[in-house]
Amino acid sequence: MRHPTEGVLRRLLDEPAGVADSDRAHVAGCPQCLRGLAAMRDDAALVDAALATEEGADVDVAAAWQRLTAAAPATGQGRAASPGADRFRADRIRAMLRRPAVAALAVVLVLSGAGAAAANDWLQIFRTEQIAPVSLSAADLNALPDLEAYGDVVVSGDGDVHEVRNADVAAARTGLEVPEVTTLAGGVSGEPVYQVGSQVRATFTFSAERAARAAAEEGETLPPPPPGLDGSQVRLVAGPGVAQVWASAAGAPALVVGRAVAPEAFSSGVPFATVRDYLLSLPGLPDDVAAQLRAFTADGSTLPLPVPADEVITSSAQVAEQPATVLATRDKTLAAVVWVDDGVVTAVAGSLDTDEVLSIARDLR
Amino acid sequence: MDPMRPAGAAASAVLAAPDAVAGAADLRAEGEERVAVTGAARGPVRGDLDEVFRRDYQRVVGVAARVLGSRDQAEDVAQEVFLSFGRSSVPAGEAGGWLMVAAAHTALNLIRSKRRRASREESVAAASDGVVSDVADAVVTREERSRIRVALARLPRRQATALVLRHSGLSYAEVAAALDMSPGSVGTTVRRAEAALRKEMNRHASSD
Repeated sequence: MRHPTEGVLRRLLDEPAGVADSDRAHVAGCPQCLRGLAAMRDDAALVDAALATEEGADVDVAAAWQRLTAAAPATGQGRAASPGADRFRADRIRAMLRRPAVAALAVVLVLSGAGAAAANDWLQIFRTEQIAPVSLSAADLNALPDLEAYGDVVVSGDGDVHEVRNADVAAARTGLEVPEVTTLAGGVSGEPVYQVGSQVRATFTFSAERAARAAAEEGETLPPPPPGLDGSQVRLVAGPGVAQVWASAAGAPALVVGRAVAPEAFSSGVPFATVRDYLLSLPGLPDDVAAQLRAFTADGSTLPLPVPADEVITSSAQVAEQPATVLATRDKTLAAVVWVDDGVVTAVAGSLDTDEVLSIARDLR
Repeated sequence: MDPMRPAGAAASAVLAAPDAVAGAADLRAEGEERVAVTGAARGPVRGDLDEVFRRDYQRVVGVAARVLGSRDQAEDVAQEVFLSFGRSSVPAGEAGGWLMVAAAHTALNLIRSKRRRASREESVAAASDGVVSDVADAVVTREERSRIRVALARLPRRQATALVLRHSGLSYAEVAAALDMSPGSVGTTVRRAEAALRKEMNRHASSD
């Protein structure tokens, strides 16, 4: 009888039941096939060991799902009727408030901060005194390069968000005056949960080599960086902050009132005279976004707030004698108002309409 | 606040429709892939994404981790893969196989693109800088792991994918269905891949 093929021998190692009886019988009595089988077993074991991972350990499926929904907001045709829709929607809202916008914000802060000052030591180059929305399409948001395309990012302090017992504890932990809500609206009731977060610091070190690589991936050539830019650093600092959260019956936040020390940026290193324009000209940043940033980041005090234009409408108002930015989703399910007073940013957001969030905001004590 | 997006997932899974993949991946510039992801992110999301994600996420990470040797990078790849899947019209019954193949392809592309970047440096070992388990350290050194992964990325795409899926625990029937090949040829394909990798290891061992 002729020898079984290599493929049959290989399967014999993994799934003997998948191999015909006649082939198994042959191999059992054939020294040549047995030698081949032994060699295959060694090779398979070697490869298996080389490819082995800590499989099954601590994959956080829930967190991964959040991340996915942040990257792919549902446009939800016919989803409203399904039982999972509410949860999906809540995930999406939370996710929207989280990653892409924050990542974009960080890029923007570095870009705007980097252009704002010259320094030989850590020097404040950016302090948030007001907020201005920058409209970005979903495509723009997706196209924004993350900071790591331009250099190293080291985060120290992850915010450590946790719940505390009451407003007094929150105030003591953060050093912030916790806003007292005097008017509730839109069916929100009950007592809030207090959460505090510590300061977050992120240090970005520009790498000419990294930026060049990112440019090459886009099929473009990096313009030569200004002397001294390579290795220069920008440090972003935000927080601490406090949030009061009222839950709805469904568990999703119905109203959030948050306050935090607004983001600041510091730079170390070389003069930054032309750096902003340089960074804004790097491949990967959409032209119209670069133009918007260039237009209003010159004063070093306006925090650009990236807003997905196809989902959110922005307008302006006055709160506590400060200019405030009002955000509302186009489907009118969410509204928020955010303003800055003396380096402290306060936001009121919820499943409310814009009049309701404004009246809550204006009645804060 | 997390000001960073995880790095490294630039290689995309959009190219991962299993039948379209074979050689196309090599011809595509990374920039184009990224555009494709962006474009895909605008369409509606399929209704069964949640369910499929919860069912298959861990396995998809497992496949990518075998290729990359890094859990973090594998999770980045899994995100890309599910993002593409969410916008696709892959029949529900083929979702599992499609996802595994897409994970393998995307991860292999990632190694290749890293190799291109690292090629001027002597140490191609950069292809695998992640965490690996201690289980097999006695048998296979870290350097060998890196080398075998680089070699894996050089194999014909079908061989590499069949090998990774098989070593990720898919049965011969599942591998065959995912790659649209006969169950009988899975063993042959896997064996060829293993022999090629062994040869690569021996080549290095003898030249040391």
